Amino acid sequence: MAADVIMPKLGMGMKEGTVVEWKKAAGDEVNKGDVVVVISSEKIEMEVEAPVDGVLLEIAVEAGEVVPIGTAIGHIGHSGEQVVKAATPTASSAPQQLSEQETEEQTSNVSESSSSMPILRKAGVKISPVARKIAVAAGLNIEGLAGTGPGGRITKEDVEKAIQEGKNGEVATAQQVVSLEAHHEDATQLVPMTGMRKIIAERMHESLRNSAQLTMTMRVDVTDLLALKKQAANQVENSREAGDRLTVTDFIARAVVRALQEHVQMNSTYTRHGIKTYSHVHLGMAVALENGLVVPVIRHAERMSVLELSRTIRNLSQRARKNQLNPEEMSGSTFTITNLGAYHIETFTPILNPPETGILGVGVAHDMPVYVGDLLHRRSLLPLSLTFDHQVLDGAPAAAFLHTIKEYLEHPYRMLL
Amino acid sequence: MNTIAIIGGGPAGYVAAITAARQGARVILIEAMALGGTCLNEGCMPTKSLLESTEMYERVKRAADFGIEILGGEVRINWKRIQKYKDKTVKKLVLGIQYLMKKNQIEVIQGMATFINNYKLQVHTKEGVQDIEAERYIIATGSEPIALPFAPFDGEWILNSTHALEQPYLPKSILIVGGGVIGCEFASIYSRLGCEVTIVEMADSILPGEDEDIAAILAKQLQSDGVTLHTAAAVQQLDKAKKSVVIQTKDEQIEVQAERVLVAVGRKPRMAQLGLENTSVIWTERGIEVSDNMSTSVPHIYACGDVIGGIQLAHLAFHEGEVAGANACGGSHQAHSYTIPRCIYTWPEVASVGLTERQARQQYGDIRVSEFPFSANGKALILQEQIGKVKVITEPVFQEILGISIVGPRATELIGQGTLMIHGEMTVDTLDDFIAAHPTLAEAIHEAVRAAKGAAVHI
Repeated sequence: MAADVIMPKLGMGMKEGTVVEWKKAAGDEVNKGDVVVVISSEKIEMEVEAPVDGVLLEIAVEAGEVVPIGTAIGHIGHSGEQVVKAATPTASSAPQQLSEQETEEQTSNVSESSSSMPILRKAGVKISPVARKIAVAAGLNIEGLAGTGPGGRITKEDVEKAIQEGKNGEVATAQQVVSLEAHHEDATQLVPMTGMRKIIAERMHESLRNSAQLTMTMRVDVTDLLALKKQAANQVENSREAGDRLTVTDFIARAVVRALQEHVQMNSTYTRHGIKTYSHVHLGMAVALENGLVVPVIRHAERMSVLELSRTIRNLSQRARKNQLNPEEMSGSTFTITNLGAYHIETFTPILNPPETGILGVGVAHDMPVYVGDLLHRRSLLPLSLTFDHQVLDGAPAAAFLHTIKEYLEHPYRMLL
Repeated sequence: MNTIAIIGGGPAGYVAAITAARQGARVILIEAMALGGTCLNEGCMPTKSLLESTEMYERVKRAADFGIEILGGEVRINWKRIQKYKDKTVKKLVLGIQYLMKKNQIEVIQGMATFINNYKLQVHTKEGVQDIEAERYIIATGSEPIALPFAPFDGEWILNSTHALEQPYLPKSILIVGGGVIGCEFASIYSRLGCEVTIVEMADSILPGEDEDIAAILAKQLQSDGVTLHTAAAVQQLDKAKKSVVIQTKDEQIEVQAERVLVAVGRKPRMAQLGLENTSVIWTERGIEVSDNMSTSVPHIYACGDVIGGIQLAHLAFHEGEVAGANACGGSHQAHSYTIPRCIYTWPEVASVGLTERQARQQYGDIRVSEFPFSANGKALILQEQIGKVKVITEPVFQEILGISIVGPRATELIGQGTLMIHGEMTVDTLDDFIAAHPTLAEAIHEAVRAAKGAAVHI
């Protein structure tokens, strides 16, 4: 049986993926389960296996190209067979509309989907079978193509016209690019907006566009916390499993989880239908990568002790840096913490991770002279920056939330209770 | 209120009228003869009624093959009763259209309409002359039979198709000039009623628009039913007194005696009485010129159906009427003509849709032709109608189904499936795993489609 190699959907937020590397060349024999191609979403890389035995008849999408999920990027069949492919689904296959379960199913079914189960049915694009084939063969994106057939169906004629126009358009664009390049040959470098960069751009812009966010800052005296950490760290390192090492971040995470449980308004997402608050805390922890940023999620952080949080955070961030996270480990967070202390940043204005209501920015702690009564003391002060969505809550409750965090961090034994 | 005057109450006109009325327009429909036009009164429907009578006759004659005996009497044709049945059927259909007009509050005027200028019609009715002014006009006057230049219709010896439907008695012999759709249908009717039929066709084969192999199957059957075919031949002389016709074939001149001559060389747009010369509407002998949205060179005057020339089929006229009616109400629809089934009610029937093999070769070069014969179809065996085949034309690159031709039992009904395939721009693989009901004649279509992949089962 013949089948398409499909750009899989790796997570709820994934709209498109990049073909990183073809492990097989066109014409190679493949067995079901062989790794055919490596693809990446904005978050992770993944190997895609051959869904059936056969010959890789065609590579439809070359390495480096970005295509919407569900696109047939290659085709496996019998040698000499006519290439039959499913076409690109459109944005109407809105990933957000799928429940997590569906997403999982879809992901796990990817390797089984074949041309006989056209994704188009789900996507709802009306296009005739022959028009679809011609479009795919020409690499034409049918998304946004206007159909003149019955009920707006895209006909063969529409596709042929679009291909013709596309050719004309390409020539024009190519000419423009050449002339531009001639003028600025040395001055600029154009990096295409692809993969992770493009997704981050979209999400950040979406965040600013769809929320009323503002940032407030507060200094927290963490002197006692650092002492406690040191004490606990010794204990942990001596008695527990190898590799356990408590950090300030672990305590901050714990303080935030506790504060979120007391201020559920902040543990929420803003949706079209209303404000959703959660009894669980799925805590996102931003991790910087070489060429971007990912936010692994600690599920049910409210059930974890500081030590458990510590282990989970370490595990997730290590795997994030190695591109080993599952899509599910990067979705569903209800609040996010981002830390720029390592770069000696004090306060900043984090951008909300949509659709969440709050994000806490952690800066670098400095020792400062602080009056305690009439006496100056050397205290460690940690700047915190809380960005919140004013659509969901107002300044006072947000400040109260931040203050609760401060209380926990300044009286660390409380959060251990 | 938007008033629309429609000239002609045939398939194009009455559909345009209903479409416009349903969109809230005030519609006036002017018909000189009977509602339903050529289709209902002189074309599709009465011929099919006659054909059904001949089919019944044929089947009753063969009843014994199926174990049914007719005791105490021969099977006889009552031509008068056949006519009566036909007239009754037509009358019912016309009443149906009248009902539809009433239901949709369409004002029907019996009369002949002529344009005075771009904005005004003069209608000659029994009661007198009436001026009609409307915001928009739709011309749907249809077509009429073309006469031979040297032999006008006289209704007695030289007949057109309308005359041929209303013969007071069954002639012993008839010579049909033109082996196209109309000529072949009448040949089937008359030959099966025992009439001696001769067809004279100028082209190399009958049904010149269809593929040779399809036409050949019909030709063979017509011949075995006693029809004499002269192809690549022309009528030279007609002598009414002697009732003789001189035919020039490739090699010789033949003189044929015929009690009647039916001239079926085609139909021309009916424009003579319209007063188009008083308007700015552009037309040629081939018909009124229209754009895809059915408007003429005068934006508020539309034309549709046979009067615009091109393919003369009632079902295309329906479609064009709908487009014209909707556009006259401010719509912006376009008529499509890429999926028009072609049905020929002969015995066996011939039906096709999409490209013929010849057209497909011209357009695509490399094509695949796959076939399935009715001789391998179980239901056809039971019906004792095993003549014919289904032919499917596909192109090899995308496996698009380009055309389907059927010659054989119920071909005109079966073509509906082919029409769906062509209309849906289907490819062969979209019909993978398709389950056709068994036992049916329709299985032959799907076997032919499967044959395109080399996967036909029952052959």
